[in-house]
Parts: sequence; C-alpha cells; structure tokens
Amino acid sequence: MATPVMEKSEAGAGGTAADSPYITATFRIRRFNPEISDEVTWQDFQLEIDPKERVLDALHKIKWEIDGTLTFRRSCAHGICGSDAMRINGRNRLACKTLIKDISPEKPITIEPIKGLTVQKDLVVDMEPFFQAYRDVMPFLITKGNEPTRERLQSAEDRERFDDTTKCILCAACTSACPVFWNDGQYFGPAAIVNAHRFIFDSRDEGGEQRLEILNDREGVWRCRTVFNCTEACPRGIEITKAIQEVKRALITRRY
Amino acid sequence: MAYDVDNPAPVIEPPRARTSRTPRKFTPGNFEMHAWLFMRLSGIVLVVLVIGHLLIQLVLDGGVSKINFAFVAGRWASPFWMTWDLLMLWLAMLHGANGLRTVINDYAERDGTRFWLKMLLYTATVFTVLLGTLVIFTFDPNIR
Amino acid sequence: MKIHKYDTVIVGAGGAGMRAAIEATKRSRTAVLTKLYPTRSHTGAAQGGMAAALANVEEDNWEWHTFDTVKGGDYLVDQDAAEILAKEAIDAVLDLEKMGLPFNRTPDGTIDQRRFGGHSRNHGEAPVRRSCYAADRTGHMILQTLYQNCVKEGVEFYNEFYVLDLLLSEVDGVKRTAGVVAYELATGEIHVFQAKAVVFASGGNGKFFKVSSNAHTLTGDGQAAAFRRGLPLEDMEFFQFHPTGIWRMGILLTEGARGEGGILRNKDGERFMEKYAPVMKDLASRDVVSRSIYTEIREGRGCGPEGDHVYLDLTHLPPEQLDAKLPDITEFARTYLGIEPYTDPIPIQPTAHYAMGGIPTNVMGEVLADNTTVVPGLYAAGEVACVSVHGANRLGTNSLLDINVFGRRAGIAAAEYAATADYVDLPEDPAAFVQGQVEALRSSEGTERVTEIRKALQETMDKNVMVFRTEQTLKEAVEEIASLRKRYKNVSVQDKGKRFNTDLLEAIELGNLLDLAEVTAVSALARKESRGGHYREDYPNRDDVNFMRHTMAYREVGDDGTESIRLDYKPVVQTRYQPMERKY
Repeated sequence: MATPVMEKSEAGAGGTAADSPYITATFRIRRFNPEISDEVTWQDFQLEIDPKERVLDALHKIKWEIDGTLTFRRSCAHGICGSDAMRINGRNRLACKTLIKDISPEKPITIEPIKGLTVQKDLVVDMEPFFQAYRDVMPFLITKGNEPTRERLQSAEDRERFDDTTKCILCAACTSACPVFWNDGQYFGPAAIVNAHRFIFDSRDEGGEQRLEILNDREGVWRCRTVFNCTEACPRGIEITKAIQEVKRALITRRY
Repeated sequence: MAYDVDNPAPVIEPPRARTSRTPRKFTPGNFEMHAWLFMRLSGIVLVVLVIGHLLIQLVLDGGVSKINFAFVAGRWASPFWMTWDLLMLWLAMLHGANGLRTVINDYAERDGTRFWLKMLLYTATVFTVLLGTLVIFTFDPNIR
Repeated sequence: MKIHKYDTVIVGAGGAGMRAAIEATKRSRTAVLTKLYPTRSHTGAAQGGMAAALANVEEDNWEWHTFDTVKGGDYLVDQDAAEILAKEAIDAVLDLEKMGLPFNRTPDGTIDQRRFGGHSRNHGEAPVRRSCYAADRTGHMILQTLYQNCVKEGVEFYNEFYVLDLLLSEVDGVKRTAGVVAYELATGEIHVFQAKAVVFASGGNGKFFKVSSNAHTLTGDGQAAAFRRGLPLEDMEFFQFHPTGIWRMGILLTEGARGEGGILRNKDGERFMEKYAPVMKDLASRDVVSRSIYTEIREGRGCGPEGDHVYLDLTHLPPEQLDAKLPDITEFARTYLGIEPYTDPIPIQPTAHYAMGGIPTNVMGEVLADNTTVVPGLYAAGEVACVSVHGANRLGTNSLLDINVFGRRAGIAAAEYAATADYVDLPEDPAAFVQGQVEALRSSEGTERVTEIRKALQETMDKNVMVFRTEQTLKEAVEEIASLRKRYKNVSVQDKGKRFNTDLLEAIELGNLLDLAEVTAVSALARKESRGGHYREDYPNRDDVNFMRHTMAYREVGDDGTESIRLDYKPVVQTRYQPMERKY
C-alpha cells in the first residue's frame, strides 16, 4: 500500500475554495414536444458544473433547477440499465457514462435523441421497433431432448467464446448509430445480431441453425456494411462489428 | 396550426419501422449470402482483371497512343483475351449492379419506388451484358 | 380511462417480477406492468453472485447456508423461510442455468463459485465458496436471462405503465384483491387492471438516501401503495448499507471484489477489518463492515483531505484476475474516478443499498394484512417484500436468490389462486384516487419544488437515519420528514402535459419516498436496541428480551383526516437456531 498513491487520487477531487472545480458549460439540447408544436428547436442551457460530473448530472441539473419539462429516460445512472442512450456531440453515448470533461466542454455540447427511431418527446424515442428486432432473433436458449438433473456442463473456453456479446444491455446505442438502420428500420440492426450471436456461439444452444436462417434474410447480417459505427458507439465495449462478421462467417461455413 | 395537450402534433416516424407484423422471411434460400460472397470474390478477381487491362491498354508498349482498331482486333483474335474481356464485362456489370441494388434497398423508402428502380437497373444490366457479350463473340476483324 | 382484465397482474419487471411472470404466464392469463422497460430494472446492477450450496468447488450444504442467513440477519430472520431459501437455492441456480444463464465455469465445466461476505463453512469456521457468479455481472445476466425467457414464453408486458394504486374490495368483511390502477407514461392515460391475483415485485426504496447504490427509479412505489391501502410494512427500520460504494457517488463495487481478495485499508494503510472481525476479516457481513468503516472515519483514520472515506485495495491482485472476475467494477473506477485499479486503491464509502423490510408475506408470497391474516389474491416478492429471510441484515448474494426463489413461488401461487378464484368487483370509481392525485399535481399552483424537498429528505436521511442512529437523530428525522410532508402538499410541477410527463412522475415518486421515510424513521425510533443494519448508539446491544420481534407499521387515518403511524409487533419464527452472540 503506497501512501503517495493516496495523494495522487486525492488531487482535484476535494476541491478547495481557492480553485473552484466548476466550469461554465453550454448544453445545446434538441427539444420536441408535440403538445406544444410540431417544430423541433434547439435550446441552450448554461450551467456552472464540475467537469468531472456526468452528462446525466447536467441533464438532471437542468430538469431539476431550470426546466422541469425537459424529458429523458434514466434509471441506474452508472451505465448498466441502458436507459439513457443519446447522441452527445454527434456520437451515441450513455449520458451516465460520459463525463463532461471528456467531450470538450469549452464548446457547446449538443444533445439529441438517438436516430432512426420515432422521437416522442425531447430525448425520448419509441423503443418498440428496436425490441421487436430483438424478439425476432429468438434470443433465448433453445435445447432439445431431456433436461439434465444438474447443470449443463460447459468448458471455460466454450463459455469465453460468447462472453463479449453477453455484455449487451439493449441500450440501442449501436443500432441507432448504424446508417443502414437509419434508412431501413426493418434491418435487424447490430443489437439484435449481437444477441443472436450470444446464443449461436453458446455451446449449450441447439437453435443456432434457426437463428442463422433468420439472419440470412434480406434484412439480416448481409446488410451490414462494416461501418464500425456500432462498435464505436457501444458503451459496454462489445466488438459488435466483429460479432456480426462472425455470424456471417458462420452462415457461409455453417460452423459455429 | 396550434397544438395542445389533447391535440398533439404528429410525430415523425422513421422509414419502414419494424413491427410485429414485419414479414419474417423475404428471400428464400441463400440469395443474400451468395450476393455478399459474390461481391467479395468478384472484387478480388476484378482487381487483377482491371489492373491488367489498364496496364496493357494504357501503359505498356507505347501507352494509350498505340490503341487502334488493329490493336483491338489483334487481341480479340486470341481466345485468351476474349475470355479475359468477357469475364471482366460480366463480373464488373454484376458487381456494379448488385452494388446499386443494395444502394436502392438502402435508400428507396417506398416499395413501389424500390421495385421500379430495380427493374430499371436490371434491364440496363441485362442489356449491357448481352450487348457486350454479343460484340465479343461476333467481332469481325475484316469489316470495313 | 381504460379497463383491462387479466387473471394475474404482476407489478414490476425486475428479477422477481419476471421470475414470477415466467411461472404465471404458463398457468394463467398474465400481464406485467412496469414503469421501466424490463431490462432497465435494477436487478441488472447486482454484481457479485447468487448463493447456493451447490458444493461444486468445496464441501457445502444448505443447512450451513441457512445458518449463515439466520446469523447474518442477526436472528431476526424467520427461520422456516430461511430454510426454504437455502434449500430451493440449489434448484433456483440450476433453473437459471437451464434457462441459459452464462455462469462462470470450473475446469470441470460446472458452475464456478466464490467467497462472499458472511457465507461460511460449518457454522462460521471459515469463508466458503458459495456464490455462483458470472464475472461481476451476475445481476445483469439474471435480468437478461429472465427477460429472454419471458420473450420465449410470450409474456405480455405493459412497458412504462406506472402502478399508482392497489384496489382492494371488501367482500363479506374481508379485504380482497380487485386489481391495480396504472398511469401510462407515454400518453398520461389512466388504466384500471382488474385481476384475480396481483403480485407486487416493484423493488426497493433506497432513493430516500443521498449516497445510494439504488437507481433513480427505486422509490418504493409498491410499498407505498400497499401502505396507503392500510396494509402493514414490516421491519422498515432495517436498511442495508453496502460497505463499498464509490466515494460520494454511491455506485456499487461488489463484495466479490473482497471475495476475490480485495482488502479495505484506512489512511495508514492498515487492514482495519482484522480488528473488527478476526475470522472473516473483510468478508464479515455488510452491517459489520459498514460500521467498521465509519468507526475508522470517525476516529480520524479516514482517507483524503476530509478524512471521509477509506480505500478498497485491489492492487495486489493480478491484472488478469481483475479482468476476468471484476471487469465492470474496474471499469467504473476508471470511468468515474479516473483511477487505475491495477495500481491505485479505490476510494469508497458505505452506500445505501437494500431495504430488508417491506410488505409482509408468508413463505408462499401471500401478503399479510396483519400478523396472520392473508389478503386473498395479493402477493409480493423481491425487495418490495419482507418474508422475512433477511431479518436485520441481508447477506450478500441472498437477494438474487430471494428474487428467484420467492419470485417463482409467488408467481406459481398467484396463478394457481387465479385459476380457482373469481373476479372481485372493482370498487366504485376505481381510478378516483389516482385521477385525483395526478390532476392535483398537474394543476397545482403551489410554490414548493420537488427537487428541494427531495434534497432535504435525502440529506436528513443521510445525516440522521444512516449507519449510526440515536434517539436524538431519529427524532430530528421524524420531525424533519413531517415538515417535508407538509411542504409536499404545496408542491407543483412545471410540466403540465400528458405525454411522458416525467416531472409529474418524480413528484409522485417523492410522495412515496416521504411516506416510506417516515415509516422507516418511526420504526427505528421505537426499536431501542442494535441489531443488524439498525445500530443505535444509545442502545448498542441486541435486546432479545424486548425486541426479538418484527416491527409492523400501519397507517392510521383519524376522524379528522390526520395521518399517523401505528406500530405493532410480530413474533419471529425460530426453529433450529437459538440466538447467539454474532461474531465474525
């Protein structure tokens, strides 16, 4: 246990009166409220805020102290529930996992709803089409024959094979970052393919063939243009484009 | 027009949202997979064919100024060059047409638009491929 | 207003709700109402694991697990329920595995297990590997797996439907369940769901604390609805503070970090838990560790310029182990603190985590209207319920177990009840209360703001009803909450619209929090002893003579409309284990 380390982690965290940690930042938020107007407007909010805070903290500050009508979804506030995916400075991010200091707060920070889904109010979009695509890939373990009395056995290597795609929290950051999805909402989208991948490559699953058939569709994996927007957007760091490529390879070789 | 709580403005829906009524299966068989694979494979072959073609036509042996009727006639006298050009014609046309097909699939929002654009594309492709093939096979070096 | 009719209605789609839904959908026409999309539920935030005496890696059995649960709960646990929990744990884990949950594996391919706080071999001899886990994302995997199986079973979800009221009708002098009233967030419309059986699985109420690991949405809506309808709340004074929340933010860093070998250190670098729990050390139960941390801080051995936190030290663990077993929490440290856990210790402080108390139920998940009477057709499971398997302090990994064991039991019991029972007539004008509540808030011209009241509530709770409590602090809290409740009557919202009015929603949630905070403080004030998560500095010892009993809090409305809380008590079920001094 090194004492110097403690000093280091303290730096700036406490915040003495002399050097206030606060900065002034502008948040430019895309507003839409169908109960008032069919027009979309951009509204600027100036905040005194600690740059080490999250974008979600800034949104809360606006909602709680300035404008209660600002509407967005949120729940856990630390990046595991997937409620608050939004487009921050043009990139899909979770508001609760994006610190203000990391997104150049000296310039106005733009916040808008994720693209490709119907905007219902401010930052709230209709998630139904997204979950429909998820449901359509049969995202559950399919097995045949009798259930064993104890657990199904699986080697650590077989478990590792699909570990990356089990991390998905269904926040829709990837799917709504995909240019193919923007133009064709019937494309399954990266998230649904990720969740199919999670089962196709699970050694316990016996429904891989069915799932591959579904993704062999015109709206399936072959629409992927390997743009890598999904991988860039994923707040869980899943290598989504790679997962999609693995599904393509499995379709060609029928080995998985 | 004024909107209020009980008379909200319409929301703007994205093109072709997925619903529970979305057909589960459009294309039987492996057409999309074969199309995807074809794009990769034809791409690789085309790189060789096209670069070779450009070298011969434009760079080697005096460059572009050497090209005249006799030069073309000379090359098409050999079945090797006939095959080369035929292959290049077919692959390039199908590769390009399939690329355009996916672009139409991506960007045409209405089913009708998509259908007619693709019909136009297919007609043009078939016409060009057939015409080119006809020329290669029926080429007569002795016409005046 | 729309009226829907279902056999079974489940309120909440977290672990307990979806586990119940999987069972109930197979047996009856079931609807699940949830104020969030199911995968947003806070079960997904659970990290460490799910306890079950599988004995995959070392000798273990369910009887030891029962003992640890009873001892962990400081003997306030109903021992018949704890026995069921520990026994059915094994099948609960195996069921999840069969549903597809990707557990970490042993070299043999069986489910891997690791150590966790308070779980011991042979009645406290040494830590045992009992927690079945999937890295530090066990809750996430459980939530996803249950949702996947709900998709498979075709469970009918009403997403973003916020249940605001429970409908009870009196038939022949007996209160029976008639249904629930929900507010549709997207449209502001009010829906009445008539049901033969209702299962509450709406989660905890940890948001009345400021430093809390709970989601913004955990506002005790189920408890508050039941309480308003005259049903009791059990053991609300027992609230668990998780020892390792990220300093100032409260984000949870799993106990699994200590299970993997992490160590708590004070500013001198001393492993201070050796003083407080010589055997289990850093893996003592959570109430013990949280109190020890605060003792260190109070005695001036806290870290940082303000001495208000301690360190969780993982630096001696190999980076590969951290990557494989604790990937998420190391990422939290990097994202939110800018700290590299490979080389630097992580500043932590105890964070409000789990409500041991809730709506009283029996082991079938049936809700109790008093110490013994069942409310026909009403069930509860998960954090909203108090069975009580957690007693005065829940053991780590027992909550993921609780939601699966009692979620399943409640789902089956509710559906089976619905199969035989008839619909109870809805009360006259069933949506009246909710309509009144919503309209009053929407049209209120009051001057009070939700934010300020919530902030004051959270501050008084953090200051007065936290890890250390005294007569004086609790009285202060009761008074403060009463005045906040008065101010709340004058609250208004800025958003007057109907669609996605989250401003209105937060105001309603605050009302629920205020009700529950009051119950918590009043119950705590009356319990003049220290037990588990409830520690009174003025009564530092456990008092089994006077307080070996569950608190039952009822809402009383006087003739003049004044509200008060009446406290009653319920005996603890003791079977095998006699209370002993609790040492780790």
